[in-house]
Amino acid sequence: MTRSLTVQSILYGNEPEAIVRAAEATANSARIARADGTIGQWTLAIGDCSPEPVFAADARSEIEAAVTAAGGAFRYEHFGENLGHGGGHNRLAPLTESDLILILNPDAQVGPDTIGRLAETVTGTVALADGRQLPLEHPKDYDPKTGDESWASGACSMTLRSVFEAVGGFDHDTFFMYCDDVDYSWRVRLAGHRVVFAPSARVFHDKRLTADADIIPTSAEIYYSAEAAVFLAHKYSRDDIVTTILRSFRAGGDEVYVRVVKAYEERLAAGTLPTPLDPTGSVAQFVNGNYAVHRY
Amino acid sequence: MEPTIDTSAERDSKPSSGLTLIDALLQQQGVSQRVSDSLLAIRAAITDDPDGDRPFLTVLLRTQGRRLEPIKDALLCLAAQTDQDFEVVIIDHDSTPDGAAGVRAVVDSQPPSFRDRVRIVEVRGGTRSRPLNAGIAVANGRFISVFDDDDLLFADWVERFHQASEQGGTRLLRAQTATQRARPEQWVGDIAGYRALSWPRAEYAKTFDQIDHLRVNHSPFMSWAFPRGLFTELGLSFDEVLDVCEDWDMILRSSLLVGVEDVPALTSIYRRWDGAASSYTVHSSDIWQKSEKRVIDRLDDSVIVLPQGSVSHIRELLAMYERRGELEQLELVLGSRSYRLGLPLRVAQNRWIRVRGTFLHHRNRIVASIRSR
Repeated sequence: MTRSLTVQSILYGNEPEAIVRAAEATANSARIARADGTIGQWTLAIGDCSPEPVFAADARSEIEAAVTAAGGAFRYEHFGENLGHGGGHNRLAPLTESDLILILNPDAQVGPDTIGRLAETVTGTVALADGRQLPLEHPKDYDPKTGDESWASGACSMTLRSVFEAVGGFDHDTFFMYCDDVDYSWRVRLAGHRVVFAPSARVFHDKRLTADADIIPTSAEIYYSAEAAVFLAHKYSRDDIVTTILRSFRAGGDEVYVRVVKAYEERLAAGTLPTPLDPTGSVAQFVNGNYAVHRY
Repeated sequence: MEPTIDTSAERDSKPSSGLTLIDALLQQQGVSQRVSDSLLAIRAAITDDPDGDRPFLTVLLRTQGRRLEPIKDALLCLAAQTDQDFEVVIIDHDSTPDGAAGVRAVVDSQPPSFRDRVRIVEVRGGTRSRPLNAGIAVANGRFISVFDDDDLLFADWVERFHQASEQGGTRLLRAQTATQRARPEQWVGDIAGYRALSWPRAEYAKTFDQIDHLRVNHSPFMSWAFPRGLFTELGLSFDEVLDVCEDWDMILRSSLLVGVEDVPALTSIYRRWDGAASSYTVHSSDIWQKSEKRVIDRLDDSVIVLPQGSVSHIRELLAMYERRGELEQLELVLGSRSYRLGLPLRVAQNRWIRVRGTFLHHRNRIVASIRSR
């Protein structure tokens, strides 16, 4: 029996034009996967965390037309509050009942065979698979024969709904913007499932480089990735890393990092830090500040 | 009477090198009416824009249908462009029937609004230039770019060219390209795939240097957008005798003719393949040398227009080489038996070090000034 799919995206102040183009690509990919028999019924569910709805009615109807033409259903929910990446997905997930969920960045554009490839991959012991990002391929290492990897990127990853529900979805109380995908992957693996990379499932993720081929992160990206680093180390029982990070943040004196230290200390005092997992380090990897061995 | 030059249609865009030359001739005291009329007619032919309703860009995408996964990457990079004012001409060059069918299937699978702007042209025989000329023959864009099937684009590749064209007028547009190492790999499902091996590296010159490009090509093909008029009005075509260096040849001939507008953004990635066939491995060093010689010989046989500032640039380079010649002579003297017998070695070494230090300082200063252009 073919499995049903919900493609979930969370908006926050995005450009409607890019969302429409991405939705057309998603509909095209789902149409091909349906024709191949890789998926059956499918839904595109968009959750909008922006203060005001991103879409005017005409843009919404444009997306709906593309989805309907590809045999799918379209849902748009304006949450009216910023739930963050994981919080938005957790809110969307119960609104549909599909077998599979594709977590997709709203501005990420899938290739024609991406949905089919991911659906073929999420089978047997594999409960979570991510696609290969273009033009900047993520450097995390993977086993070329099996695709097994430390974690799957939330930019484009497909998961079994049953597993998503069993492990409690994303931990949005702890991770607002970053590392909710790392954490979800590790909990999926702790539950005995495999997480794999599907390089033939390509997805265009609009990232840019400077003239020196560097990435310049925004201040929000710096803050939330630093905060996530501390919380992730705490959650996966690496107090040694927590201590090291906090010491370096305090010593650096940078205002952003001092705020991270404060946020951690407040949660510690309030008893709202997550319960530590994986005390033996069976799945969690902390390698040179990364959460997997990186190829470069 | 001084000839009247109507520049109203050119807005604020910069003139091409050829146009600058024509304007300089028109401003020349005593230029005859006959010559003036002819120059104005040429000027009008170069600057008139009859192409208002054309797409901004035609993307020529060469493929031999051997590797379908890279071409899927390439098409996704195009489908995801923030500026969709372009068409794509895929030139299928000498594919096998299976390869050609594979390319057609990949195109057919694209989203409708993108697929409608993609055409396939099949070309048989000839060198790597032949498919390019075949693509130009059917191109509708006001600019033409070449994007080979195994490279990558950032989302603003077209947008940045488009923005620069507002300033660049009929000049060539040149953006920045990074390089990234990759190697073939068999993916799950027995798919002929690959993996990236390095973070992208910005190894090419950030801005265009006409003189240095005569020495070596610093600009992969997809760095460029060529104005349509080069081919339709000025009659340029890719040299089908060349086995390789066809890009360098066109870059040099056209940049010398119309000049270059730099696009201040890194918008593409050139993949360097480890353990896979590329033009570097398929063709022998002999072929590369012959092609390079032909490119230079053709330029030597022609009259070229250098961009403004070139005289000072060439003088700096000549001064640098003069200093280097002096240094080499000094090194020869220092190394000679008679000199070593004639003077205490330490004195000579100290002097050599001082001179070499002066040379290096001078060279670095000049190199820095060249790079900053």
